[in-house]
Amino acid sequence: MGDDTLLAARDLTRYYHGRKVLYGIDLELRRGEVLGFLGPNGAGKSTTMNILCGVLAPHGGKVSICGYDLMREPLSAKRRLGYLPEIPPLHLDATVDEYLRFCAHLRGLRAQETNAAVDKAKRDCDLGEVAARLIGNLSKGFRQRVGIAQALLHQPAVVILDEPTSGLDPNQIRAVRKTIQDLAHNHAVILSTHVLSEAQTLCSRVAILHHGRIAFNRCIGEEDDILRLRFTNAEAAPDWERIDGVHSGESSGPGRYRLRVDNFDLAAESICRLAVEHGWGLRELSRDTSPLEQVFVDLTCNDPVEST
Amino acid sequence: MIWTIAKREATSLFRTPLAWSLLSVVQLVLAYQFLTQIEIYLQFEDKLRAMPEAPGITEVIISPILGLSAILMLFVIPVLTMSSLSGERRNGTLTLLYSSPITSRQIVAGKFLGLWALLTVIWVIAALMPLTLMWGAPVDLGVYLSGLLALMMLMTAYAGIGLMFSAMFAQPAVAAIATFGILAGLWLIDWATHLQQEAGLLSYVSSLNHFQRLARGLIDSTDLSYFAIITAVSLYLTAWRLDGDRKPL
Repeated sequence: MGDDTLLAARDLTRYYHGRKVLYGIDLELRRGEVLGFLGPNGAGKSTTMNILCGVLAPHGGKVSICGYDLMREPLSAKRRLGYLPEIPPLHLDATVDEYLRFCAHLRGLRAQETNAAVDKAKRDCDLGEVAARLIGNLSKGFRQRVGIAQALLHQPAVVILDEPTSGLDPNQIRAVRKTIQDLAHNHAVILSTHVLSEAQTLCSRVAILHHGRIAFNRCIGEEDDILRLRFTNAEAAPDWERIDGVHSGESSGPGRYRLRVDNFDLAAESICRLAVEHGWGLRELSRDTSPLEQVFVDLTCNDPVEST
Repeated sequence: MIWTIAKREATSLFRTPLAWSLLSVVQLVLAYQFLTQIEIYLQFEDKLRAMPEAPGITEVIISPILGLSAILMLFVIPVLTMSSLSGERRNGTLTLLYSSPITSRQIVAGKFLGLWALLTVIWVIAALMPLTLMWGAPVDLGVYLSGLLALMMLMTAYAGIGLMFSAMFAQPAVAAIATFGILAGLWLIDWATHLQQEAGLLSYVSSLNHFQRLARGLIDSTDLSYFAIITAVSLYLTAWRLDGDRKPL
């Protein structure tokens, strides 16, 4: 394991009432990485996150955080971990300040560090104006931000956020995304979300969990610019890699193609020219704005595992 | 760490109207009983004086107050302890404790100390009223203090049982009912054997029996151990239950 690997999970399995819900999950996370953790509801995302945070123990496999085994040295491992569960664990009868101070003490911060940590978390999550208010009286957006603040308080090496932007308005979503991007400089972040565009903008890597297995785990970036084509002439199937600007291509139905392109404009121009020259009957040429969505749908829709 | 959780538990208890209403009801009931017992004592004072080895003011007024406090605890403690851990489970805040660098034992110790802070207030209420008698009457300090010790031991053991059921059930009401069932069972278990001469096994299990012996001024290590063992076992089982949440079944 390299020095920069902050979280490593090996072969995690978990059963619920005799039913296997996780089948050997492997995950690795380095400093500076934001891992988008996606999957349909019930795929095992929250179970996996709970295991990574020591809230649940796996039936098999192991988790280590900054080199500390979560089962053998739970206290050292958890000191380096911040977790926002799906339901923010808030004390509704406490003020934001009281709650954050309580969390700081729980994480083992000393009295003199607590004030600075609470102030920083409030600044980062824009909570200054509600610091003295009861959490129970705050709106959902503010509550969510208090939940994020408690996860970041002690500047943990690994931050795990389960749907951090749910229930926020568009401005708050932008603010939280900015916070996550800032975090990524020095920390490793796991982020579960149902908003695929969010994963695409925020995450350096995406893992899709389906039926308790990692079905997809890959870096996303520029190379995932996808060009969608449809021709009336179904015979049209050139050697896509030889066209300028195209990285690779695959058929997605009769006369339909999905191309990974390195340079969208150049590829589009070349294809238009070729289509006219060879009479392919070009009917559609568009940029696939959410290639991740396609991957997600391909992986998790209409799969045969459902019936087993 | 334990102190942080204890402080949080005590603060959140004192923030609920529940704690304050319980405190006021306990105060009201005990005050009524106190005044009644004084009235009874004053009525029979002359007759008592004439009797050889007559019960003194401690036996007539203070012991009944402490006895009534013990009975009130059968109802008060299940209500106070019911939400301690089951409330955290319901609100999802147990996750915060589980993902923090803290052991189950520390969680249980913190929760227990927090509850104990509130129970101490109840205990002080029960202790202070009889203490006012000392201004003008001869109070048997030994019996009084031993009665207070008995009440404290009993409350501590009951709080342990309450915390244990609060860890077991996700619904606070179910935890309260289970706690009340066990406390009432322990209180009444040897009633049927009262007529027998020899102390059977049931009288060893009975909390009433141990409480009464201590409250009469008989400080016996058996009675003290009884309450200490109940407290220790229930706290151990609470921590075991919390560990069980995380361990694979």
